[in-house]
Amino acid sequence: MRMRWLRMAVPLGIAALLLTVTGITYAVEQPDPTDADFLSPASEAPIGGRALADALRAEGVDVHRTTSTLDAIGAAYEGDATLFVPVPGVSHPDYLRMLESLPASTRIVLVDPPARTLDTIAAPVAATGRRWAAKATEPGCALDEARRAGTAAALRQRYEADGERCYDAGLVRTRWSAAELVVIGANEPFRNDRAGEHGNRALAVGLLATKSTVVWLDLHELEEPPAQPVDPPGSEEPERESSEDPSGEGVVGGDPGSGESGEGRSGNGSGQSEGDGDNGAAPPSEGRNPLWDAFPDWFWAILVQLALAALVVAVWRARRLGPPVSEPLPATVRGAETVLGRGRLYRRAKARGPTADILREAARQRTAALLRLEPDDDGEALASAIAAHTGRPRDDVDDLLYGASPETDEELVALAADLDALAHEVGAPPVRTDEGEQR
Amino acid sequence: MLTGRTAALLALSTVTLPLWPSPWWGVVVLTAAVLALAAVDTALAAPLRAVRLSRDGARAVRLGETATVTLGVHNDSPRVLRAQVRDSWVPSAGAPSRVHRVLVEPHASAALETTLTPTRRGDRPAVRVSLRSYGPMGLAFRQRAGRPATPAWRLRVLPRFDSRRFLPEKTARLRTLEGAQVTRGRGQGTEFDALREYVIGDDVRSIDWRASARRSDVLVRTWRPERDRRVVCVLDTGRTSAVRVGDEPRLDASIDAALLLAALASRAGDQVDLLAVDTVVRATVSGGRHVLLPRLVNALAPLQPSLVETDFELVVGEVLRRERKRALVVLFTALEPGALGEGLLPVLPRLAARHRVIVAAVHDPLLERMAEPSGDPYLSAAAIRTLGERDRVRSALTRNGVTVLDAPLDVFPSRLCDAYLTLKQAGRL
Repeated sequence: MRMRWLRMAVPLGIAALLLTVTGITYAVEQPDPTDADFLSPASEAPIGGRALADALRAEGVDVHRTTSTLDAIGAAYEGDATLFVPVPGVSHPDYLRMLESLPASTRIVLVDPPARTLDTIAAPVAATGRRWAAKATEPGCALDEARRAGTAAALRQRYEADGERCYDAGLVRTRWSAAELVVIGANEPFRNDRAGEHGNRALAVGLLATKSTVVWLDLHELEEPPAQPVDPPGSEEPERESSEDPSGEGVVGGDPGSGESGEGRSGNGSGQSEGDGDNGAAPPSEGRNPLWDAFPDWFWAILVQLALAALVVAVWRARRLGPPVSEPLPATVRGAETVLGRGRLYRRAKARGPTADILREAARQRTAALLRLEPDDDGEALASAIAAHTGRPRDDVDDLLYGASPETDEELVALAADLDALAHEVGAPPVRTDEGEQR
Repeated sequence: MLTGRTAALLALSTVTLPLWPSPWWGVVVLTAAVLALAAVDTALAAPLRAVRLSRDGARAVRLGETATVTLGVHNDSPRVLRAQVRDSWVPSAGAPSRVHRVLVEPHASAALETTLTPTRRGDRPAVRVSLRSYGPMGLAFRQRAGRPATPAWRLRVLPRFDSRRFLPEKTARLRTLEGAQVTRGRGQGTEFDALREYVIGDDVRSIDWRASARRSDVLVRTWRPERDRRVVCVLDTGRTSAVRVGDEPRLDASIDAALLLAALASRAGDQVDLLAVDTVVRATVSGGRHVLLPRLVNALAPLQPSLVETDFELVVGEVLRRERKRALVVLFTALEPGALGEGLLPVLPRLAARHRVIVAAVHDPLLERMAEPSGDPYLSAAAIRTLGERDRVRSALTRNGVTVLDAPLDVFPSRLCDAYLTLKQAGRL
C-alpha cells in the first residue's frame, strides 16, 4: 500500500518541484517594471537605459527626461518629438487617453503596454498572443528603422493593428488620430545589458531618433488620478466607472483587486445565485455573459441539480463490492521452448553448414541402423552399402551424405528432403531407434 | 454511501424546479431533502457489526469436479438485513463472479451457496467476503472493508489421477505374476510361497518330489513374487518440472504416474514412500499400506513447481537417510543435460550402490514431431540436436547402472508400471 502511494507521489513530486523551480527562476529573471532603474535614462544598472540615452545623445538627439505623464505629454505636444513610455502600465489611463490628441509630428513609443491599458485608452492596437520570453527574429517589414537594425529581440507580445507589423507582429506602427504610434512588446532592445545583442541597439536608437527630441517618461510608480476629470474630445461616458477604480488599470501584469471590486459592486442578479459557488454564477456586471440571460433561471437550476445527481452517480459507482482478487500464477514453461529458440538462432545466424551436418549425421545413423551396420563404420562402407541397396550411383550417395555445405536456404531445404527420401528408400518407414527399443 | 436510486431521485425531482418561486432555493431544498432521506436510510440499515459469517461444505475436490461451499449469513441485529454479498475466491478456484442478494430477518440466518469448479490443482483459498447492507428504501448502504470478518476456508484440489484407467490391467498382470488368477501354470514369482497338493492341470515341472516323498501325496511348490519390498517415489519439483508437457506441467504428469505406481505397489504388498524435493524437501509420505493412497493424494495436491535448480545432493542424502534397506528408487525428473549432468551424475553412484534406481522422465511428443525432416530444416536440426543430448544423458545414466524410462505423456504411467512389474518378475527389486 505504501509502495503504491510512493509510486504515485515521487514522479508527481518531482514534476511539481521542476515546475516550481522553473517558475521561480523565471520570475527572478524578469525585470520588474516598477524598479526605479528599469529603462531609466540615468541608470547604469543592467535593466537601465543609460546606454540608450547616451547613444541617442551621440546621434544628436535631445533627451528630455520627465517623471510625470502630464509633463511628458505637454513636452511632446510641441511637435517634432518622440514620446518614449517604457512603463505605460503605471501611467493613469486618463492621461494616456490624451495621447490621441498629439500632433502628427510626434511619435509615441510604448513598451509592452498591458492589454487592459490598450483597451481602456481605446488605442488602435490590440494585444494578441504572448510569448514566454523575447525572441530574436527577422524584421520582415518595410519599416526603415527595423530594416536597418536587422534581426533583433523584439518579439514578446504580438499586436494587431492597421499599419506596419514587424518582427512577426512583435512591433507595430500605426497612426492614432494624427500622432504616430509605435508599440513594441519586448523591453530587451532598450536595456543596458541586452542592447549589444543582435540589432537591438540599432533598433532602439532607430525607433527613438527620428525626431529631434526624445521625451523620456521615467515613471515607475502608480500615478495619482487627475484632480478633475480631464476630457479628451469624444469619449466621456465610459470612463466614469474606471476613474472610480484607481487600482484597476494600475499595476502591470494583472491585479486581483480589480476583479474583486468588480464583483463586490455588482449587486444585481447575484441574489439568487447564492449557495452554489461551484458554477461561477455571480457575473461581474460589466462582463456579464449574454448567454446567462438567454434562459430562465430554472433552466440553470435544473442543470445544477442534474450535475449534483451525476456526482451522486459517480460516488455510487466509485465504491466497489470488494477489490479484485490476485493470485500468484504457477511457473510454467512451454515444452519445446528451448528447441524453438535454438531453431530460430540457427536461422538468424544462417548456420546452414552446422544444420546440414546435423541433418546428415542423423541420416547416416538412421540408414546405418536400417542396414544393420555399425554406426562407427567409416563412410566408405556406408555409402557403398546404401548404393548397393538402393541402386543409386555411388557418387550421388557420397555427395548427399558427405558433400559440401549448402549455400542458400533453398539448397538446405532440398538437402533435407533428399536425405529423407534416401532414408525412405533404404528401408521401411523410418523409425527412431530408441522408440523401437521401448516397444 | 449513496446508491443509484438516490441519484435517480435527485434527477427526477428536477422537473419540479420550474414551479418553485426561486429555482435556486429549490435546488438547495430538494438536494437537502434527498440527502436527509439517504441519511435516514443509512441509519435504518442493519449494522455490519451485528452480521456474522460462517462457512461449511466441501474441503477437498478432485480436479475437474465441482464442489459446493456454503456461506452462512447470520443477522444478530433487530433490523432486517438487506444485503449484497460477494464471496471472492482466487480465480483458479472457478467460483462464479456473481453477487448474491439476500434478505435476512432479525436474528435469523441465510445460506448462500458457492459452486466451485477449480481449474488448477492445489490449495484454493477463499479470499474475502464483501457485504453491503442496504437501508429499507435502498437509497444508501453501509459497507466497510473487513467487516464482517471473512471466515477462512481452503479447498484442496486433488490431482485428477487420469491414469487410474491403467490400474485394472496392471493389477491383472500382477495377479498373473502371483499365480493367483491363472491356476494353470506355475506362478511366475521368484519367492517360494508354500507347498500344496497337486491338482490336475498343474504344471508337472513344479512338483516337489522331495516333499512328495516325505508325505504320501503329490505336492507342488507354489511361488509368489517378492513381497514387502520398498518403493520410493522421488519427485523433482525444480525448474524442469515447470515445463509444460501437453497441457499441464511435467510435475502433474509425474504425480499422476507416481500415484499409479503407488497404487499398484501397495496392492503388490510393497511399501511405498514418497519424497518431493527441489532445494528443500517439499513433501514426504512414508510407510502405511492400506490408507496410503488418500494420504499420498493429499500430500501431492499442493505441490507446485518452483523455478530453482534441484539439489540432487539433498535428494540422494534424504533417500539414503530414510531407506536403510535396499529399495526401488523412482526418480521423476527430466532428461536434461544441464540439470542431470551437473546435479545428479556426480552423486548418482552413491545412490545406485545402495538401491535400484529408475529415472523416469516424461517427454513432449512435440519434440519428435519437430525432428521429422519435413518442414523447417533449422528447426528439425535443433530438435535432432536436443534429442541427441537426451540420448547422451540417457546413456550416461545407464552406464551408472540406472534404468532410464523416457516415454511420451500418454503412455508414461503405463510404461512405468510395466518397468516395475518387469523388475518384480525378475526378482530384482
